[in-house]
Amino acid sequence: MQTLLDFYAKHSRLIDQIGVNAILALSLSVSLQAGQLALAQAAFMGIAAYVSAILALNYHWPLLATIVAAVLVSTVVAALLAYPVRRLRGVFLAIATIGFGEIVRVIANNLKITGGAEGMSGIPNDATTPVIYGSLAVVAIALWLLSRTKFALAVALVREDEYAARGVGIDVGAIRTLSLALGGAIAGLGGALYAHASFFITPNDFGFARMEQILVWCVVGGVTSPVGAVIGSTALSILPEAIRFLADYREVSNGIILLVVILFAPGGLASLWKWRRGAPRDPVRVHA
Amino acid sequence: MNRFTVSALALVALAALVAPSSAAPRGPAAGKHVHVGVIADVTGAAGVYGTPQKNAYELANEDVKSGKIDAGGADLVFDVQDAATDGAQVVNLMQKFTTDGQTPIVLGPTLSGEAFKAFPIAKNANFPVMGTSTTAEGVTAIGPTVYRDSLAESQVIPTTVKRTHDKWHYKTAAIIYGDDNAFTKTDGDIFARELKAAGVDVVDTETFHIKDTDFQPALTRIESKHPDVIAIGALFPEATKIIQQAGKLGIKTHMIGGNGLNAPDMYSVAGPAAQGTVVGAAWYSGAKYPSNVEFVKHYTAKYGKGPDQFAAQSYAAAQIVAALVKGGATNKDEMLSALKNVRSIQTVLGPIGFDSNRDAKSSPVILSIVKGGFTYFH
Amino acid sequence: MLAQQLLNGLFLGAVYALFAVGYTLVFGVLDILNLAHAAIFTAAAFAAFSLAGMGVPLVLAFLIAAVMAGIMGILLDRVAFAPLRARNAGTLVPLISSIGVAIIIGAVLRGIYGVDERHFTVGGLDTAPVIHAGPVTFTTVELTIFLAAIVLMLVLSWVLRATPLGRRIRAVAEDRVAAALLGVNLELTIAATFFIASSLGGAAGVLTALRYNSITLDMGGPIELKGLAVIILGGMGSVTGAVIGGFILGAVETLAIAYGLSEWRDAILFGVMFVLLVLRPTGLFGKRALRAA
Repeated sequence: MQTLLDFYAKHSRLIDQIGVNAILALSLSVSLQAGQLALAQAAFMGIAAYVSAILALNYHWPLLATIVAAVLVSTVVAALLAYPVRRLRGVFLAIATIGFGEIVRVIANNLKITGGAEGMSGIPNDATTPVIYGSLAVVAIALWLLSRTKFALAVALVREDEYAARGVGIDVGAIRTLSLALGGAIAGLGGALYAHASFFITPNDFGFARMEQILVWCVVGGVTSPVGAVIGSTALSILPEAIRFLADYREVSNGIILLVVILFAPGGLASLWKWRRGAPRDPVRVHA
Repeated sequence: MNRFTVSALALVALAALVAPSSAAPRGPAAGKHVHVGVIADVTGAAGVYGTPQKNAYELANEDVKSGKIDAGGADLVFDVQDAATDGAQVVNLMQKFTTDGQTPIVLGPTLSGEAFKAFPIAKNANFPVMGTSTTAEGVTAIGPTVYRDSLAESQVIPTTVKRTHDKWHYKTAAIIYGDDNAFTKTDGDIFARELKAAGVDVVDTETFHIKDTDFQPALTRIESKHPDVIAIGALFPEATKIIQQAGKLGIKTHMIGGNGLNAPDMYSVAGPAAQGTVVGAAWYSGAKYPSNVEFVKHYTAKYGKGPDQFAAQSYAAAQIVAALVKGGATNKDEMLSALKNVRSIQTVLGPIGFDSNRDAKSSPVILSIVKGGFTYFH
Repeated sequence: MLAQQLLNGLFLGAVYALFAVGYTLVFGVLDILNLAHAAIFTAAAFAAFSLAGMGVPLVLAFLIAAVMAGIMGILLDRVAFAPLRARNAGTLVPLISSIGVAIIIGAVLRGIYGVDERHFTVGGLDTAPVIHAGPVTFTTVELTIFLAAIVLMLVLSWVLRATPLGRRIRAVAEDRVAAALLGVNLELTIAATFFIASSLGGAAGVLTALRYNSITLDMGGPIELKGLAVIILGGMGSVTGAVIGGFILGAVETLAIAYGLSEWRDAILFGVMFVLLVLRPTGLFGKRALRAA
């Protein structure tokens, strides 16, 4: 027990990061499951992080209230974003949403209330490990329950064949908007937790590099399932610390490991496990 | 006693003075192993700043062994860990060092934004940390265990503006600064404040982003407003390009800048246009403090290139820690109380103490870029 | 001042366009986004630096570095893309493998050259004659770089339009399976595509290094995301679109600054792109453009 406590004391920050990162990966996974390469997760995360930080610092709201408000705002923004990009598919959707993310970052960089490039410091550090993993559990259970509804069926149909979906009377626009909003809500939750687990946020925390990181987690884990997103984000969050002993060769090893994993498991880490169990190896395609 | 004996005795005495301290253990920390944590961005976007820091600590490790840095006979080691310009890694390293039970103090991280994420962890653990390059406002205000040996931009730029204004009596100025990181943004803000306070009219303000390479559009616009002075809030890579491209566009306006411009190859990279640019900084490579002369010489020999301010401030932190270890501070509580009682420690930055805000107590140097390096600005 | 700013934008846009043209060629032919393109851009600049350091004249160093970049492109394809192509792995997976290669290239360059900025010590880059033409000022180096970029793009256009190789590349872009059935050697054509694309990206890197006389590890950083924006805005795989997109990018960036909006520059850039995409959801020029080029 003491060893366990010692381990936690030493690695609590990493353990918390793994939980937050899993939530962020799940948020992108929701979009990818719906066949939408919408890459605005870092922006939704950032918007929520700032909303919750501002409410906590300037208005002294309690943690739960700031999280709820932040998630509401990021959900609404995601739903609103769905409208102008409704006709965009594949990489066009990807770059438009990345562009949206850059605009959000520049705005955060120029506003007074966000502290600009100097960031916001002194955010209450109250997103504890139980709060983070409790949130992750809520998201996981919600997604699992959702996967058993007709909504999930409609999402799958839209992903596989939009025209067929229209043919059977599915409102494709509504499905796309809802899945984007759901992704926005989960990313918002991740962002609010991130702010309350980091003391300090700056616009660069939510730029293209963060978006790229979340995408890498999802693809390395496997875009077929939410499980893949969690596996990918967890493995890649631990990786830099796990290979610290490589010292000067750490950066190059990081690239080689990423390359090797992706070449030997193009369906993601999750597919290795599924494949053993006889499931089909072909990953679900994200239409690009 | 003939003259020969006298000189021989003098030689022996001298040899005893310069002999490696490890030869004769002494002082309360003698023989003890002291492991100091260092967090630096050796790789990633800030690798250009973290690498000289790592170099300085490696040199310090050698100098402790050879006795050039006197750690009172303690087995003092600076353990440099790379944070890859990744906030998550900075935080994890800080957590690791503050909980491993053997580290008495952490030096670094490289960037102010990283410090705002990591120093609160140290504060909550009542653990001493010292920033060596985290110059943004508010860093030491994080908590009573946070120190820094670097001069904040707010300590450097006011003097720079005052000294240049006293000499040139300029009426108008333009500011160009990086608006996407805490260091250069702070520069821009302080320049605006100080220039206004000096009665100077700021006729144009331009911003850029870290890693930008083309500053000609911004400089063209600045030139169209005919300022008497251009204030640059930038780090070395961008600052050299701004100065070089200003030269190419034929801009002859005086230029002034802060700590970010204090790098040995400013002139060789930016070219003749850099001549006369005034730089306010915490350290002068040509300063005659004994350890500084040695440091510049050995660093240059070891790495084939002179140290910059990042390296100097890191080496100074190593000297400060060594002095405290020599005084018997080998765990975090002893280190904290030793830091509180620092009067003045000789470093490559000159004698250093800390003020009531735990910021370095020393005055900035105002330098002027000349071919081959810097000279004092008069 | 506006004339000078437009010229600044034109010079900037030419190198953006050259970078984007190579980027989009791979995209058009293989439907993959190659995020290692910026890493090859940087590697070529360092290669030219080393060659110039050995006393190779700058023009020759430029050409050799571009060829080396082309060879790197072929290697990149064999390592990161070909195995995935064989397994039919889709679009996203190669994107990630190219990120892996980009990290490796960056780490190797850091290992070889260290983190310090490098600059050419030969060739009188900093002392190039300045030309004053009416309201504008530029150097002969800038003019040469601009012309080199234009010539390279014209050569590419000619290769695609009028040579057997160009016809094969366009056939593979149109329909890989049909092209193979018609006897086009797929892997060879893809290798040629990577060679051309990467050598153009490398050329853009060397020209950027020469223009600012500066070579840094992260010089590919700013152009990576903007280049991506340009090729997608231009239309999937459209060379014309990439060229026009590159010039639009140069102009928007420069004019944003000219009108005193430097702090909003990137927001304006991506805002313009966002609106254009909303209006034309498949980019300014569709994929047809490469096939019909």
